[in-house]
Amino acid sequence: MRLFWAQVILAPLRELGQQALASLSSLLGMLVLILLGLLLGWLAKEVVYRVLRALRFDRLCGRLGVGQEIERMGFVHSCSYLAAQVVQGIIILTALLAGLNALGTPLTRNLVERFFLYLPHFLAALVILLVGTLVSRFLGRSVLIAAVNAGMPAARLLAGLTRFFVMVLTVVAALDEFGISRTTIIVTFAILFGGVVTTAAIAFGLGGRDLARELLQSQFRPQAKPEADDQMRHL
Amino acid sequence: MPEEILTDQVRQQLHAAGSVDIVIGIPSYNNAPTVSRVVQAAHAGLLKHFPERRALIVNSDGGSKDGTREAVLSATMDTSVLLLVKHPLYPVHRLTTPYHGVPGKGSAFRTIFRIVELLQARACAVVDADLRSITPEWIDLLLRPLLDLEYDYVAPYYKRHKYDGTITNSIVYPLTRALYGWRVRQPIGGEFGMSGRLARHFLTRDVWHTDVARYGIDIWMTTTALAEDFKVCQSYLGAKIHDAKDPGSDLSAMLVQVVGSVLSLLETYADVWPRVQGSKPTPILGFPFEVGLEPVPINVGRMSATFRQAVRDLLPVYQQVMPAALLRELQACAALPEERFALPDELWVTLIYSFALAYHRRALDREHLVKSLTPLYLGWVASFACQTANEDAAQVEERIERLCLVYEQLKPTLISQWPLQASEKR
Repeated sequence: MRLFWAQVILAPLRELGQQALASLSSLLGMLVLILLGLLLGWLAKEVVYRVLRALRFDRLCGRLGVGQEIERMGFVHSCSYLAAQVVQGIIILTALLAGLNALGTPLTRNLVERFFLYLPHFLAALVILLVGTLVSRFLGRSVLIAAVNAGMPAARLLAGLTRFFVMVLTVVAALDEFGISRTTIIVTFAILFGGVVTTAAIAFGLGGRDLARELLQSQFRPQAKPEADDQMRHL
Repeated sequence: MPEEILTDQVRQQLHAAGSVDIVIGIPSYNNAPTVSRVVQAAHAGLLKHFPERRALIVNSDGGSKDGTREAVLSATMDTSVLLLVKHPLYPVHRLTTPYHGVPGKGSAFRTIFRIVELLQARACAVVDADLRSITPEWIDLLLRPLLDLEYDYVAPYYKRHKYDGTITNSIVYPLTRALYGWRVRQPIGGEFGMSGRLARHFLTRDVWHTDVARYGIDIWMTTTALAEDFKVCQSYLGAKIHDAKDPGSDLSAMLVQVVGSVLSLLETYADVWPRVQGSKPTPILGFPFEVGLEPVPINVGRMSATFRQAVRDLLPVYQQVMPAALLRELQACAALPEERFALPDELWVTLIYSFALAYHRRALDREHLVKSLTPLYLGWVASFACQTANEDAAQVEERIERLCLVYEQLKPTLISQWPLQASEKR
């Protein structure tokens, strides 16, 4: 009877207790890691924010046009604070993943492994999007100002087209980096772009050559500068 | 170790010439049709007015392809037609040298200043190579105040057609006057005299790779002289008539170099101009004789059309530069019918101060910022042309004087907004 009690009742209970203890220590480890991550994240955020402020990072972002872009997206914080928040987020996320890894289950291990494999692509795509947006804004504004100064009536159209094409290239490159159906994106882009160009060519070339000529002349040819204006000495 | 900008060959030529009292600098770029006359006038001016001084004429050329340098060296002077009271004691040497560095007038000046420094000259005058109205008296008027009256800087004072030099009239003169407190009517005139001391001082500045090396040199020299308390005067030279303008020159590029330099100097002298109130006249030397002026035809319709298009199309750019109320006023002006088109002085001055503040806080790329001013400036020219269509030179000058006073009256608004603290939002 005593043997039965020991083998059938106590042993499983002891094993269950050991397992629960092991799980509990893993859980506790995870909690400690997450709490540590939260604390480190908060500390890093404050340090990064103060360092960036001291380095006049907001001014740099303003010069590059990032500040205005971020404001336009509806963010109320400064670029320094947002950058500090990104650092905090990365630290907390890392701590969370480390905590999950501490559980030691195959599922969490697989998840963590895949996340870290994907992370560089994700960051690269974000950088591509950011740089592309800035370049498209800069080039668009260059074209707009130059076209207005040259007296071109279609200044806004030209600037819009410039921004559009740079953004299309950017999005294609970013999606490619994300690894989202690379072939589908390229084929879709090629079909769309080719379709637009072909349609425009047929419409302009066959449908109304005279109209197309007049339209292009009125939209893209700078207004004739009379001889009189060339004699002005501004300085 | 300062960068040496003169070649060994030029240094040898200068060594052979020995020390001189006066250097006349003539920056040039493809000015073959006019440069020989400018050299002759400078030569005659030296023989006639400074016969007892050692002098050197330096042509600093930007790589002309039309024989400018040959024209400089071969320009002959028939001295028999000059009425010389004293026989010249020394021959006037002549030197032509290509300059190095950023292509532009400022780099040419730098070479001339370096020669002034090497030869320990007491005075230097610079004249443009495209002048058609230069006379030997200009040399006297630009150098005499330096040699006999202890001035450091001589700015030119011309009679110009009311539509000639509109960047000067609308921005550079009134703004420089309001900021630094001295009325120098042609701060970017092109012809200047400066003491050897000031020329050497210019050389010590690290600006030769900026817009100062291009069109910005004139305003930089004038501002430096005014802001650093050098003794400045003006010399009345009569009429200024240039060779036909280079058709390739781009107005917005010119604005970037000139207005960009003015706005950049606001930062350089941020501890000087806020302390200045009002303005004082700068002495004008020379007899103010009347001159005939060439008419300057302008196309008001095209300019006002460019202004209207800019107010419509560049709205997103201007929103980053100026307050909404100012933008609404601009839109109201753009909506006026052609015959009533006008930009009030207060609006124009507030607009220029907004651009200065935007330049300072780097609201957007600085080249974009100043280029976006071009159509607004054309709007001012159109408005000015409409208002002064039937006015004579004296009335136009009065109008410019009123504009200057508005710049001075509104200066406290610029000062109050200048110390722009970085945004405190977290």
